[in-house]
Amino acid sequence: MISEAFIPAVTSLGSLALTLGIIIYFVSKKFYVEEDPMVTIINGILPGVNCGACAYPSCNQFAEELVRTKDTSMTCPVGGPDLAAKLGESLGIEMAEPKPITCSVICQGNSENARQSAEYVGIQDCWAAMQAFAGPKQCRYSCLGLGSCIAWCDFNAMRIENGLIVIDKDLCTGCGACVPACPTGVLVMQEKKAERIFIACNSHDRGADTKRACDAGCTACQKCVKVCPEEAIVIENFVARIIQEKCTACGKCLEVCPSKVNCIVLKKDMIKSKQVS
Amino acid sequence: MEPVKLKVSYAPFVRSKDSIESVMYNVALALLPATAMSVYYFGIPALLVTITAIAASVGFEWLTDKIRKKPDSCLDGSAFVTGLLLALNVPSGLPLWMVVVGAFVAIVVTKHLFGGLGYNIFNPALVARVFLLISFPVAMTSWTVPFSVDMQTAASPLGILKTDGMAALSSFSYMDALLGKTGGSLGETSVLALLIGAAWLFYKRYITVSIPLSFIGSTLVFTGIFYLIDPTTYASPLFHFLTGGLVLGAFFMATDMVTSPLSLRGQLLFGIGCGLLTAVIRLWGGYPEGVSFAILIMNSLVPLLDKWDLDEIKAKKQQSLTTA
Amino acid sequence: MKTFSIGGIHPPESKLTASKAVEKMPVPSEIVVSMSQHLGKPAKPLVKVGDEVKKGQRIGEADGFISAHIHASTSGKVKSVKSVPHPGGNYSLSVTITTDGEDTWAEGLNTAPIDWKGLSKESIIEKIKDAGIVGMGGAGFPSSVKLSPPPDKTIDTIILNGAECEPFLTADHRVMVESAVEVIKGLEIITSLFAGKAKPYIGIEANKPDAIEAMSKAAKGTGIEIVTLETKYPQGAEKQLINAITGRTIEEGQLPFDKGCLVHNIGTAVAIYDAVCCNRPLVERVLTVSGMEITSARNIRAVIGTRFSDIAAFCGDMTEKTNQVITGGPMMGRSQFTLEVPITKTTSGILFINNAGLENSRERTCIRCGKCIDACPQSLEPWLLGNEAQFRRFDEAEIYGLANCTECGSCTFVCPSKRELVHWIKYAKALVNNRKQRKTA
Repeated sequence: MISEAFIPAVTSLGSLALTLGIIIYFVSKKFYVEEDPMVTIINGILPGVNCGACAYPSCNQFAEELVRTKDTSMTCPVGGPDLAAKLGESLGIEMAEPKPITCSVICQGNSENARQSAEYVGIQDCWAAMQAFAGPKQCRYSCLGLGSCIAWCDFNAMRIENGLIVIDKDLCTGCGACVPACPTGVLVMQEKKAERIFIACNSHDRGADTKRACDAGCTACQKCVKVCPEEAIVIENFVARIIQEKCTACGKCLEVCPSKVNCIVLKKDMIKSKQVS
Repeated sequence: MEPVKLKVSYAPFVRSKDSIESVMYNVALALLPATAMSVYYFGIPALLVTITAIAASVGFEWLTDKIRKKPDSCLDGSAFVTGLLLALNVPSGLPLWMVVVGAFVAIVVTKHLFGGLGYNIFNPALVARVFLLISFPVAMTSWTVPFSVDMQTAASPLGILKTDGMAALSSFSYMDALLGKTGGSLGETSVLALLIGAAWLFYKRYITVSIPLSFIGSTLVFTGIFYLIDPTTYASPLFHFLTGGLVLGAFFMATDMVTSPLSLRGQLLFGIGCGLLTAVIRLWGGYPEGVSFAILIMNSLVPLLDKWDLDEIKAKKQQSLTTA
Repeated sequence: MKTFSIGGIHPPESKLTASKAVEKMPVPSEIVVSMSQHLGKPAKPLVKVGDEVKKGQRIGEADGFISAHIHASTSGKVKSVKSVPHPGGNYSLSVTITTDGEDTWAEGLNTAPIDWKGLSKESIIEKIKDAGIVGMGGAGFPSSVKLSPPPDKTIDTIILNGAECEPFLTADHRVMVESAVEVIKGLEIITSLFAGKAKPYIGIEANKPDAIEAMSKAAKGTGIEIVTLETKYPQGAEKQLINAITGRTIEEGQLPFDKGCLVHNIGTAVAIYDAVCCNRPLVERVLTVSGMEITSARNIRAVIGTRFSDIAAFCGDMTEKTNQVITGGPMMGRSQFTLEVPITKTTSGILFINNAGLENSRERTCIRCGKCIDACPQSLEPWLLGNEAQFRRFDEAEIYGLANCTECGSCTFVCPSKRELVHWIKYAKALVNNRKQRKTA
C-alpha cells in the first residue's frame, strides 16, 4: 500500500534531482570564470556602497583595478587612512594616505539670515523651483533649501534645517555625489583641513545687494583682505576666498568682518586639535 | 515697499474643476438610483448592508492611511465608491460581518497592499465579491426575493438557468428583470436604474462608451450566436443582458479608471475580452455568473495592453533616431 | 470652422478687457530696460551710468546671430547698469533710466510714414533688425532671423497669429480692432520678402467677431485670407496654428520652415510696419492688465521697461487678496516674485489673481483617467512623462517624447489628481539639459 504510493514518487523525483545535479555540475565546470581571489578579499575590505568617489563606478571595479595595477596612489576617500592601511596590508604594498575630504556648504542663508522674496508653492525640489523663478530666497546664489541633494547622498549625511542644508560631518564621506545635484552650487568638496576656516558665502552680487538679501553674506568689502597678515584672502567675483595653503587660521579676518553674521566660518576646535598634533 | 507677499508656482494658474472627489462622488451619485431601487425591493436589510459596506470601507481606508503614514484620503470618495459597489455586489441577506470582511479585502488587500489609489491592479470591490463568493458560497448565493417579509430566498434567473436549464425559465418576465423584480444582489436587479446612472456618467464625461459597448456587445453577439444555433438550450441575448451583473459590471466596474486601459484600442480589446469571458463562463462555466471573473481576468491583462501602446511609441522613437 | 486635429482644451475664457480700448500709459519716472528680452544671447549694453539717452537710441547691441538690439524706450539719464529681477523669473543685466519726461526721439527716428514698396528686401530686413524686433507673442525669437530662412527652404505660407487662445489676454484682439490697417501693412511687408510666392493668412479665433470683421474689412483686395478658428486652447501655439490652417504637422525636431510655414504675431506685424515705414524701433507695446484682483482691468500701451508696480498703480492698484502676479496668460505665463520687474518686448499681459488652489494644493497619485492623453495637442502621454520625471527616469522620459512637449499646460489643467505634469516635464527637461552640459564639459 505504502510502497505503491511512494516508490514511483521517490524514484521519479530522485532521478530528476540526480539528472539536474549532474547538468549543473558540468555547466559550472564549463562556464567557470576565473577570478583573482585577491579581488574578493579587497572587495570585502572596501565599504561596498558604490558611491563613485574614487572615480570608479563601483567598489568591485576599484578592487579589480587595484589588484591589477597595484597603484599605490589609488585611494578610497570614504574609507580614509584606516582603510588605506588595510588595503596596503592585504596587498603587501604601502598605500598613499588619502586626504580626508568633506562636503562644505558655502551658504549660511537659513531662514533667520536670508530674506525671502516670495513663497514657493509647488514640487518640493530645488531644480523644479528653479524652473519657476530664481528661488524663494532673495539671494539667487543661496541654498534653496528644498533638498534636491539629499536623495543623492548614500550616507544619510544631509538634512534640511531651518531652510538650509546641513551636513553631518561624521557621516559625510566626501564622495561628492551631491555636488552636481545642487543647482546653485553651494556644495563644495574640500579637504577636511580646510573646514577650520572658510568663507561660507556664494553670492556674486554686489555688496549692497548681498547685504540687503542676507545677514551672513560676503559683501566683498575688502576688510579681511587688508587685515590678513599672510595675504591669504582674495576677492573673486564679489566674494572672498581663502587660499588655504597660506592661511594660518589666526582669526584676524573674523574680527574685522562687518557682516551681521560672519561670512567667515572658523571652527576653533579644529584649530586646537591641529596645534596639539 | 511690497505690502503683498506674492506666491510663486508653476504654470498653468487655472485648473479645471475636476478632482478625484468630483469623479468619485459623481460615480456614487450615478449609483444612487440602483441603490434606491434595491432598498425599495429588499427593504431595511439592503440599507443596512449598504451602510455597513461604505462605513467599513471608509474606516479601513482611514486606518490604512494612518498605518502607512499617508495623507488622509478616506474622504476622497474612492473608498466610498468601493464600499457602495461592494454592497451592490452582495445579496441583501448577507451577514453584516461578512460585509466587513469584504470591505477589508477590498480596501486593505486589493488596494493598499498594491500601493493605494491609482496603483491597484484589480478592481477592489470585485476582488471582495469573488473572495466572499468563494469563501461563503451559500451566503453569497442566497438571493432574497424582492418584497419578501421573512427574507425568503430564491435562486437568481442565471442560477436557475445553470441548474435547471431553459425549461425552468418559462415564468421569466423581461419586464421584471428590467425593473429589477428578480432575485439577485443589490445592484444586479434593476437594469433600468443602472442605465439612468450610467447616462449621468456619460453626460459628465467620466466614462467613455468604448468599454461598456464592446463589453455588452461582445456578450450579446456571443450568446446570440448560440441562441440562434439552439434556442432550447441557450437563453436569448436579451435574457443575458437583463440578468446578472452585466450592466453593473460593464458600466460601473469595468470602466474603473485605475484598472482599465488608457488607449481606445486597449479599451475595446479589454471590453471584448470581458464580454467573451462572461459569455463563456455563463454558458459553460461552473458558476452561473461570470462578470466578476471576466473583469478580474481582464484587469490582469491591462498592464500588457498599456505596454503595447508604449512599446509602439518606443519603437517609433527608435526608428526616427535611426533614420535621422 | 478650422482647428487643430489633436487634443486641446476649453479653459474659461475670462476675457474681461475684450471691449476696452487701448489706453496710453504715461512714462513713469524710472524705467528698467532689460538686455535679454529675446531668445538667445543677451545684448551687450552700450551705455554707462550717467549717460544721457534719447528715445529710440540703441543702448544694447545684439551679441551674436540669435540676439536683438535693445533701445531706450524714452529719453533720460542712465542710473545704473546691473543685474535686476527679470519677468522670466530670474535676473538679467538691465539698464535703469531716470526719465526726463520729455520723451524726445533720437534724430532720424519716428519719421512720417513712407511707402515701403520702393525698398529692397535686404534693406527691409536690415530695418527690422535695427529696430530690435522680436516675436511679441511670448518666445521672443528675433524676427530678422526668422524672416531669413535658409535658402533651401521654400516658404509658401505666412500666418499671422491672431488666435490669442490664452484666457484673459486681449492685447492682440484690441490691436486687430484698432490698428487693422497697420497689421495688414505689416503682413504685406512680410509677404513681400518672399516675392509673392507665399500665401498670407490671419488666423483669428471665433470668440473675437469684431476683430474678424475689422481685419476682413482692412484685408479686402490684398489677397490676405482671414481664417476663422474654433475657440480652443492651445490654438495660438505655432505648431497647432499651422496644423489648424494648413493641415500640416510639424514633427519632432522640425521647425515651421521645414514645412514651408512662417508664423508671426499680430503685435510683431505692427512693429514691423512701424520699423520699416516710420523708422520706429520697438520701444513700446500693447499689453493686457487683467485678473480678478486689479481694480480696473484694461489694455494699455506702455513703454518697454515700465515696472509692474507702476502699471499696478496706473490700473488702480491690486487688492489685498492678490497672491499671484503673472506675466503672460494663465496657461503658460510666469508667476512673479516681485513687482519690481519690468515689462519686456514679449510681455503680452499682466494678471493679478487670487489663486485659491495654492492654499492646500497637494499632488495625488495618478488615477489613470486618461484625460491628459486626450488633452495633449502633441499626442504625448503626459501622465507617463510626469511619472518618469518624478522617479528620475530621464532616459525613459526622453524616449516617450519629452522633447516634443510644448509645455502648453493642457494636461495639468485637466488632471483631476492635480498633478503638476508640466512642471515635472519642465523639471525633467532641465535635468536632462544639465546632464548633457556636464557631459560635454
